[in-house]
Amino acid sequence: MVKDLGFIDPTYRGGKARIAMAPRPVDLAGKVIGMIDNTKEQADVILKTIADALVERYGAARVVIRAKEHYTKPATDELIDEMAQEVQLAVAALGG
Amino acid sequence: MKVDEFEFFLEKDWSDGFPVVTPTEERVQRMLNGTRRDPDEFVGNVPPAMGPATVRAVAIHAVMAGCKPEHLPVILGAIALMLRKEFNLNGVQGTMHGVAPLMIVNGPYAKHIGIHGGNGCFGPGFRANATIGRAIRLLLLNLGGGIAGVGSATVFSSPLRYTACLTENVDHSPWETLAESRGYAPDDNVITCAMVESPRLCYDDVSEEPERLLTGIADSMHAMSSFNIHMPNSDMVVAISPEPAGICARAGMSRADVHRRLCELAGRRMGDLKRGGNWRRTRALKCGYDPDDDDFFVPAIKDPRYLHLIVAGGYGPLCAVCHGWGGGSFAVHGRYDV
Repeated sequence: MVKDLGFIDPTYRGGKARIAMAPRPVDLAGKVIGMIDNTKEQADVILKTIADALVERYGAARVVIRAKEHYTKPATDELIDEMAQEVQLAVAALGG
Repeated sequence: MKVDEFEFFLEKDWSDGFPVVTPTEERVQRMLNGTRRDPDEFVGNVPPAMGPATVRAVAIHAVMAGCKPEHLPVILGAIALMLRKEFNLNGVQGTMHGVAPLMIVNGPYAKHIGIHGGNGCFGPGFRANATIGRAIRLLLLNLGGGIAGVGSATVFSSPLRYTACLTENVDHSPWETLAESRGYAPDDNVITCAMVESPRLCYDDVSEEPERLLTGIADSMHAMSSFNIHMPNSDMVVAISPEPAGICARAGMSRADVHRRLCELAGRRMGDLKRGGNWRRTRALKCGYDPDDDDFFVPAIKDPRYLHLIVAGGYGPLCAVCHGWGGGSFAVHGRYDV
């Protein structure tokens, strides 16, 4: 019920806990950076270009690029876990 | 101060922009009389927000949409189908595109509760069509978070996102229903859901024989900027009204014959497709075609299973073509309990 108004709240309950933001890195030097390719056309080209620039210009140690199963589907838990284990900074990246 | 319940629900973004029937405990209980299922039964999580759809949550939205209790089994059946993995509701909720899950309801229960398949069946004026489809949309908004600019990146959305539910015009169809064509019995209550755009109407008061008639319809099926022509899988619904269906039937064509001929006719040369729209080499390659073969005939229907042919609408020389989505959704169908 919505307080005492006699109406039912149609939206779902629960699952709305706030999650703290991860700390933002000050710089990329020496860090392993992850990128999730959404599989849209040319995402691989765009991400590889950016990855090279992050290493050359900002001193990133290396860039790990992994692809989702399909651009319309969420990344799997396994993929997210793998990224969390391997990289210090991850970017969910688009192609098009 | 007295709260205006209609304004309250609109201010909360709990509606589709129209006033809703206020869901009170009493009304929800009455709606639940439409099913024997346990109100706490879990139906599934609606993406992308993954709000849980229980039988009770579905009933709440059925009340809001203006449904009768006897409409509830169709909504429960449809939402379960729409949550099947292959339908990829998650993708459609988030997409820039604007397709909607069109429900084609076959079987005796559709007729019993007044789902309409005749004159004006895609439009306003028919409570079952309007409210069943609206209940689905409210669930996708409130539980799924598929709100334009929030959980949905849709550029235009579509009028079909208000409601999308109809049946076939069985009384004036020369053929078996879509469900029967898939092997269901005439007495089975079956829903087919396909992700499609709003209908594009094809007017033809000239053709008197099937080949010319179907050539005209096929011309609306292979537009340059459609997903159907470029993507490996994309559904399409073609609704033939009783008059043109009769032209085909009188010439001896079965439902399967018309289906096959439309698949053969709808398509265009690779070289022609390159002149505009969303043709890309990589897309041609994904379909298994040689992008350099300009004379290759690219079919709009890549697999006959992607074309859903129905007989619907009133008497007159029109057909309706609903193009599909390109993000990997496969139409779903199945029986539902009444």
